[in-house]
Amino acid sequence: MRTQRIEYDDSTTRAFIAASIVFGVVGMAVGLLIACQLVWWQLNFEVPYLSFSRLRPLHTNAVIFAFVGNMMFAGVYYSTQRLVKARMASDLLSKIHFWGWQAIIVAAAISLPLGYTTSKEYAELEWPIDLAIAAVWVIFAINFFWTLAKRNEKNLYVAIWFYIATIVTVAVLHIVNSMALPLSFTKSYSAYSGVQDALVQWWYGHNAVAFFLTTPILGIMYYFLPKAAGRPVYSYRLSIVHFWALVFMYIWAGPHHLLYTALPDWAQSVGMVFSLMLWAPSWGGMLNGLLTLRGAWNKVREDPVLKFFVAGVTFYGMATFEGPLLSIKSVSALAHYTDWIIGHVHGGALGWNGLMAAGMFYWLVPRLYGTKLHSTKAADAHFWLATLGIVTYMVAMWASGINQGLMLLATNPDGTLQYPSFVETLLAIRPMYIARALGGGMYLVGFGLMVWNLRKTAASGKAVNGEAEVIIEAKAAGTFTAWDVLKGRPLWFSLVALAVLLAIAFASAAVAVVLMIALFVLGEAAYLLSRADKRGGKPSWFAIIEQRPFAFTVLTLIAVLVGGLAELLPTLLVKQAVPHAGVAQTPYTPLELQGRDIYVREGCYTCHSQMVRPLTAETRRYGAVSRAEEFIYDFPFQWGSKRTGPDLHRVGGRYPNAWHYTHLVDPRATSPGSNMPSFAWLKESKLPKDSARPKLMVMQKLGVPYSNGDIDTAEQVQRAQAEAVVTDLAGQSISLAPDSEMVALISYLQRLGRAQGVPFDGSKTKVAGPVPAGEAQP
Amino acid sequence: MKTEPNSPVHHVYDGIEEQDNYLPNWWLTILFGSIVFAAGYWFVYHSAKLLPLPGQVYEAEAAAWAEAQRNAPVATDSVLLALVDDTEVRAEGKQVFSTVCATCHGQKGEGLVGPNLTDGYWLHGNKPTELYRGVSSGYVDKGMPSWGPALGEKKVRAVVAYLMTIRGQNVAGKAPQGEQLP
Repeated sequence: MRTQRIEYDDSTTRAFIAASIVFGVVGMAVGLLIACQLVWWQLNFEVPYLSFSRLRPLHTNAVIFAFVGNMMFAGVYYSTQRLVKARMASDLLSKIHFWGWQAIIVAAAISLPLGYTTSKEYAELEWPIDLAIAAVWVIFAINFFWTLAKRNEKNLYVAIWFYIATIVTVAVLHIVNSMALPLSFTKSYSAYSGVQDALVQWWYGHNAVAFFLTTPILGIMYYFLPKAAGRPVYSYRLSIVHFWALVFMYIWAGPHHLLYTALPDWAQSVGMVFSLMLWAPSWGGMLNGLLTLRGAWNKVREDPVLKFFVAGVTFYGMATFEGPLLSIKSVSALAHYTDWIIGHVHGGALGWNGLMAAGMFYWLVPRLYGTKLHSTKAADAHFWLATLGIVTYMVAMWASGINQGLMLLATNPDGTLQYPSFVETLLAIRPMYIARALGGGMYLVGFGLMVWNLRKTAASGKAVNGEAEVIIEAKAAGTFTAWDVLKGRPLWFSLVALAVLLAIAFASAAVAVVLMIALFVLGEAAYLLSRADKRGGKPSWFAIIEQRPFAFTVLTLIAVLVGGLAELLPTLLVKQAVPHAGVAQTPYTPLELQGRDIYVREGCYTCHSQMVRPLTAETRRYGAVSRAEEFIYDFPFQWGSKRTGPDLHRVGGRYPNAWHYTHLVDPRATSPGSNMPSFAWLKESKLPKDSARPKLMVMQKLGVPYSNGDIDTAEQVQRAQAEAVVTDLAGQSISLAPDSEMVALISYLQRLGRAQGVPFDGSKTKVAGPVPAGEAQP
Repeated sequence: MKTEPNSPVHHVYDGIEEQDNYLPNWWLTILFGSIVFAAGYWFVYHSAKLLPLPGQVYEAEAAAWAEAQRNAPVATDSVLLALVDDTEVRAEGKQVFSTVCATCHGQKGEGLVGPNLTDGYWLHGNKPTELYRGVSSGYVDKGMPSWGPALGEKKVRAVVAYLMTIRGQNVAGKAPQGEQLP
C-alpha cells in the first residue's frame, strides 16, 4: 500500500460557478421581462427580437442549460474528484467542455431571438448547435468515465450513480429527439411528424426535467448536504431502491404531457400510471436528504447553506407530489395548457434547482477561495426573498391556472359555454400575472444579493485547489468478475418481471389477473431469497455492480432504454396515414408551408395549441376533436403546451383573411383585452425568392407525397395562391405584396384543421375538401 | 416506523458516512400502493375495459347533445320577434354581442371586418329567421363562423333579438354591403 498526494482541479469548478451565476441572472431577467410582457403587451416593443414568443425559448433554455447546466457541471467536477479520489482525467477535456458549453449558450442566446428555432420545447436550437451539444456532451462523458477508470476508491457512491444516469440518458434523449433533415445552415425539419413527433418530443421534454434537472441535482444533494450538515447519509438501501426505481420509471412518464390528445389511449394510460408510481421513488430522494439532517436541525437555523438545502429538498418533495397529481387524466383535463403547469415547473426550477444551486454556491465559494462567506446576513436575506418569491409565484399560478381552467370548461345547464370569449378568461387572471411578476422579481433581487455576496467572498480570498493524500490500492485479487454481475438475481428478477409486465399489457382480463398474481408471487419469492442471502452473509449484487462502473453504466442504460423503446417503437412503427372516411390527407400547399415556417419562427406555439381535446366544452369552443391522422404532414408537430391564447387547430376558415390581417397587426383591434404581441412587421418582411422549391424537396424526402411536378411548379403555385389572398384583402382596402410573409402566415392559418374538410362541430355546413384561402370572399 | 437510530456506518466516502437504515413503512406503502393502483387502473381500463376511456366518454356526451339539438323547438319568425319585447333577453343578447360579435362587427354594430349591421343593407336577408340562420350556422366560406355550437340555442336567439333592436340605427361605420331591405 502506498500513498500519493494529489491536487484536485478546482479551477474548472470555479469557472462553471461563474458561468452559472452570470447566465442565471440573464435567464431570470429574461423570465421577468416575459412575465411582464404577459401583463403589459406594450413591452414587446413591436421588435421581432423582443417578442414574447421568441424570448420564451431563450428564457427556458438559459435557465435549464446555462444556469442549471453550469451549476450541475460545477458540482459534478468538484464532488466526483473527491468521491473517487482522483483528479479529473484530462484538464484539456475539462477546458474544452467548459468553453464548448459556453459557446453553445452564446449561440443559443443569439439564434433564438433571431427566430432560428425548431419549435421543439427545450430543444429549440437548430441542428449545427445540436451537433455541438452532442460533441461537448461526449467530451464530458469521456472525461468523467476516464476519471472513474483512474479512481482510487473501489466503490461508487450514490452521487456517482446519479451522474452516470444523467450522462448516458441525456445523450440518448438529445440524439433521438434532435433527429432532423436540414434545409439550410439555420433551418431544419424534424425527422418525425405529428403524433410520433409529439411522443418523441415529450419523451425528451419530460426526461430533460428528469435527467438534467433532477438526477444530477440529487447526486449533488448526496454529496453537499451531508458535507454541510456533518451528518451521515440516512440510508444506503433507500439510495438503491429509489435510484433504480427512479431511472427505470421516469422514462415512461413522458405521455402525461399528452393526455387527452390524439396520442393512442394505451400510451396515455402508461404515461399516467408510471407518473403516479414515480411519487415514492422521488420522495425517496427527499427523505434521504431530510433524514440526513436528523440531529442537525439546530444547525439549519444558523447556516444559510443548510437553509437553502432544506428548502430546496422540500420544494423537490412538493413538485414531485404535484407532478403525479397533475398526471391524473381528469386533473390534466383542467390543468393542462394553463398556468398551473407554469407554477409547477417553477416550483421545481426556482425551488429545487435554484435553492440547491444557491446552497451549493454558498458552501463552495468560500472553500474554493480559502476564505469565509462575506455576509451571512445577506445570504439569509437572499433565502427569505427567494422563498417568499417562489411562494408568491406558485400561489399566483395555481390561482390563475385553476381559475382559467375552470372558466374554460364551464358550461351552462344546456351544455353551452359559460364564457364563450377566450379573452374573458385572460382578463380574469391578469391580477395573478402581476403577482407572478412580483414573485419572480423578488427571487431575482435575492439572486442579485447572492452575486454581490459571492463576489465579495471571492475577492477576500485567493483561488485554492483542494489536495488530498490518497491510498493507491493495488488491484485486489479475487474481486468480482463480470460473471458475478451477469448471474445476479436482481438482474434476472427484473428481466422476468419485465417480460410478465409486457404480457399483462396485451393480455385479456382473465389472463391479466393470473399474470398479476404471478408477478406478486415472484416479488415475494425474490424478497425471501434476498433475505436468506443476506442472513447467509453473501455480498449483495448491488455491492458488486457498484465496484464496476462499466457494468453499472450498461445496466443504467438498459433500465432507461426499456421505457423509451416500449413507448416509442410501437408508435414509430405504426402506419400513420390512415385515411379518415376514405379521404386521404392533403399536404400543405407551398404557400401554406411557408406560412407554417413563419408560425414556427415567431414561436406561435408558445401561446397557442393545435389540439382540440375530446371534452365537450372544448369542442363547443374550438370545433371538432383533433385526430391523429390530421397531423401526419406536420414536421414538426405544433400541438403546443400552453394556451395563453385560444387553440388554433380549427381556426382555418373561421374568420375572413381581413380579420387575421387586422388581428396580427393589432390584436386588440379584433380582440379587446388580448395580450398578444403585434406581428405588424410581417407586412413588410418578404419570403425569400425561390424558397418554396427546396422546402418541398426536403418534405418529399421526409415522406410527404409531393410529386416531382409539384416541386417544379412550387413557385408558380405559391404565387397564384398568394395573389388570390392579396386580391381578397384589396377588397377590404388592405394592400399587401404577394410575397409578404403576412400573406403566407394567413394562408397557413386558414388551412389549419381543414386537411380533410372537417366541419365545425355541430354545424350543418360541410366544408368540402381543402379550401384555398383565396376563395374566402367577404 | 422501523428505524435503527444507531445503524452502523456502511461506508465512508470523502468523509461522508453512509448509514443503512430501514425504509420507512409509510414510504413503502406509497411505493407499493401506487404500483397496485397502476395495475388496477390498467386492468379496469385496458384489460377488462370496464370503464370508458376519455374519447368514449366524450362521444357519449356529444351524442346526447346532438339528440337534444334535434329535439329543440324550431325558431320561427314570430317566435323570434316575440323575444324582442323581452328586456331580459335583449340584455343578454347585448352582452353576448359585445363579447363575441363586436370583435368583427364593432361594439355598436357599425362593422369592422364584418359588415355594418345597422345600415339597412343586408347580404343574407334581414328576416328574423335569416338572422338566426346566419348567427347559428354562419357563412363559414365568407368568414362568418357558426356560433350555434359555442353559444347554444338560447344565446343565439338572444343575439338575434338584440340585432333586431339595432338594425336601422345607421351608425356611421363600414360602407354598406348587399342590398337595401326595409
